[in-house]
Amino acid sequence: MAEMITNGVQDDLNGKYMTFYIEDTVYGIELFHVMEIIQVVAITPVPNVPDYISGIINLRGKIVPVINVRVKFGQPAKEFDDKTCIIVIEIEGFRVGLIVDGVSEVATISNGQLADPPEHVASGGQQYLQSIANVGGRVILNIDCNRFFQSDLIAAGSFER
Amino acid sequence: MGFIDPSMEPMLETFIYETTTLLDQLDEILLASEKSKSISGDNINEIFRIMHTTKGSAAMMGLESISNLAHAVEDVFFIIREDPSRMQSVSEAIFDLVFQASDYFKAEVESLQGDSYSPADPTGMIAQLEKQAAIMKGEAAAEPAAPAASAAASPAPAKTESAPGMQKIRVFFEDGCQMENIRAFMLITQLKDVCEELESVPDHPENDASVCSEIIKNGLLLSVRPAGTLDEVLKVIEDAVNVKSYETIEEPAPAAEPAGKEESPAPEKAQAAPSAPAPSASSAQPPKVTKQSLISVNQAKLDQLMDLVGELVTAESMVASNPDLKGLTLDNFTKSTRELRKLTDELQDVVMSMRMVPLSGTFQKMNRIVRDMSKKLGKDVELETIGGETEVDKTINDAIADPFMHMIRNSMDHAIEPADVRASLGKPATGKITIAAQNIGGEIVITISDDGSGLDTKKIMQKAKNNGLLTKPEKEYTEKEIAHLIMLPGFSTNDVVTEYSGRGVGMDVVRKNIEKVGGSISVDTQPNVGTTFTIKIPLTLAIVEGMEISVGGNIFTLPITSITQSFKITEPQQIICNTDGTEMIMLRGECYPVIRLHNFFGIDTAVTEMIDGILIQIESDHKTVCIFADELIGEQQVVVKPFPSLLSHYDIKGRGLSGCTILGDGSISLILDANNLIRAYGG
Repeated sequence: MAEMITNGVQDDLNGKYMTFYIEDTVYGIELFHVMEIIQVVAITPVPNVPDYISGIINLRGKIVPVINVRVKFGQPAKEFDDKTCIIVIEIEGFRVGLIVDGVSEVATISNGQLADPPEHVASGGQQYLQSIANVGGRVILNIDCNRFFQSDLIAAGSFER
Repeated sequence: MGFIDPSMEPMLETFIYETTTLLDQLDEILLASEKSKSISGDNINEIFRIMHTTKGSAAMMGLESISNLAHAVEDVFFIIREDPSRMQSVSEAIFDLVFQASDYFKAEVESLQGDSYSPADPTGMIAQLEKQAAIMKGEAAAEPAAPAASAAASPAPAKTESAPGMQKIRVFFEDGCQMENIRAFMLITQLKDVCEELESVPDHPENDASVCSEIIKNGLLLSVRPAGTLDEVLKVIEDAVNVKSYETIEEPAPAAEPAGKEESPAPEKAQAAPSAPAPSASSAQPPKVTKQSLISVNQAKLDQLMDLVGELVTAESMVASNPDLKGLTLDNFTKSTRELRKLTDELQDVVMSMRMVPLSGTFQKMNRIVRDMSKKLGKDVELETIGGETEVDKTINDAIADPFMHMIRNSMDHAIEPADVRASLGKPATGKITIAAQNIGGEIVITISDDGSGLDTKKIMQKAKNNGLLTKPEKEYTEKEIAHLIMLPGFSTNDVVTEYSGRGVGMDVVRKNIEKVGGSISVDTQPNVGTTFTIKIPLTLAIVEGMEISVGGNIFTLPITSITQSFKITEPQQIICNTDGTEMIMLRGECYPVIRLHNFFGIDTAVTEMIDGILIQIESDHKTVCIFADELIGEQQVVVKPFPSLLSHYDIKGRGLSGCTILGDGSISLILDANNLIRAYGG
């Protein structure tokens, strides 16, 4: 499970998506954002944050915040099981963990397999979608990381400045 | 940063570092000299050297304005160096000018570090320096000649007199340097400062780009009457950018050189004087070679080292208290880990000491502010600094400079009364501000006190009321509490905005800045006796001595410094319950609120009865509360880590937490901050 993906050249990673699932829905995230996948470790909750931020974890001496994707997508949190894992991604220099129900595979998706998501949706997980892919009869909902973290990044960015 | 040549950009950091160091030295010398009202030969040389270096490196970076001004200062000290006695007549003016110049340099260096740099114009200062130089050279009579020098820009009067005392110089610019006409104009502008009269062929080259070819072919022909010596003029030409070569064209009239000097008899003495003291000066100063044993290190590297040591401390306790070792008898292992512990402790101390800088540098800056403001405000104020050798972490040192400056300005502007008022109150005419620093038990305590009018509590109360800052009935406020109102956001008592203070940022910014580095500030005031601000800051940010306490499954770390005592209660009746559900405890006749941490942070725990858990009395500023936790785990040094920046805009700190740390077993502990905890609780 502790599959390490080194941050290689972006070109090699283009068109590759890390797929994971929440309930039965498969989501994809661009592979070049993904640093590693770890099993759920002890999460220390922090006060005064939105409920989808579960807390912080110790990732080899680095403090990394973790987001419960289920909650972010407006679904009730559920007990972690042996499938539950944390995808550690890096976006705009920030490292953050995503708690997902499970990861499935790295899928290669060509542009021809991509379709735009429906417009004017503002609820649940759909508002963060970048595209929808149909790979071999399976539907993968690709998440737009920038939009997913928009609210957190804007605020953090303005603070960093 | 487009102003700097891209090829020079790697040098920029070095230039800024060097120049800043030099300027700090310069300020120190100037202040010491001005205080003792004399300037030693060593110091003159030192100033000369500093200016020379600045000039050189600025020219290398292509920063002409800095280079030119440094050159002018250098010239002045060149004259002083030759005969220090000449300085007496104009010492005050010179000190002021050099201070101005130093400020100019600092501002330039500062703006270089910003995103867009555009040089400010130093010509006014250069002209004044030039004038002082002329006075010192005994050409005081030539003072009215100064406007004449600028008048030389209009060629009409110059032409009529061009015959005697004019020196012709032909200047060639580097091949292919382009914009020859502008370069010629720049050179002429520079030369105007050292020449009484100046003519050029072609005339006004800046207006006509077509003269470029003429300048390239024939060079720029200058006719000058030097204000000082011809050598000075030639030096300017030599130092000018892109000048390839120049030649002086001998005038048939041999009287040309001394002609300008015969205006007064004084110059002759001046001319003769330097020959005598000059050699003695050089023999009196055997080259003092202090071996350079300091190296400068990029702060990022130090931060990284600090991080690594922090990791090492954590890793060490992971090994030493590894659960796998439980129940084993490991004599040799224990011995080795003890040895390792000793080494890591030592390493940690060394790394910490590397990051420590004395406060004297910051204090020095305050000296400068007091001096400048005394002059501007016409108030005679003396600054006393005590304990400048006290060392603090570099980050903290940087963070407190601005708040200090603000407080000193406030004291100067508002607290210290004008001399006549002071006299009528029976105070010494000279106001006094004292900054004292000392190291008390892991904290640096700095007091800034003045002997001014004290805070006007009535006015503060009124103002706070008007601004709606009061949180309880007016009558319940103690004097001390009223004084603390000035540190609330949106408070500023001065109705009139002055140059130095009252720009809208008030004491709340000071408080915020100090709290940002984990410090606290309090104020004591007495009418007509003075005001004292007491600032407590931690010695270092990185590692704190903490007490670990558990609440449910969570472990919190509470800095030892904020703990007054911890105790268990034996009788549930000791707790006084309010109708609104809050609890209090009576300790030695005083009543303190009790904060249940599990309720406060919403943590499930089995320990909810006061008798089962433990109470810890914590104090911050002048407020004391007791917190209730499950149990004390133990004391440990922890490495403070900030919360991830992704979370930085959520108000975690406002909930009483200052950061987090990684414990020996790899789990994360949140660090409690007594100050914020009490505030968050509404105390």
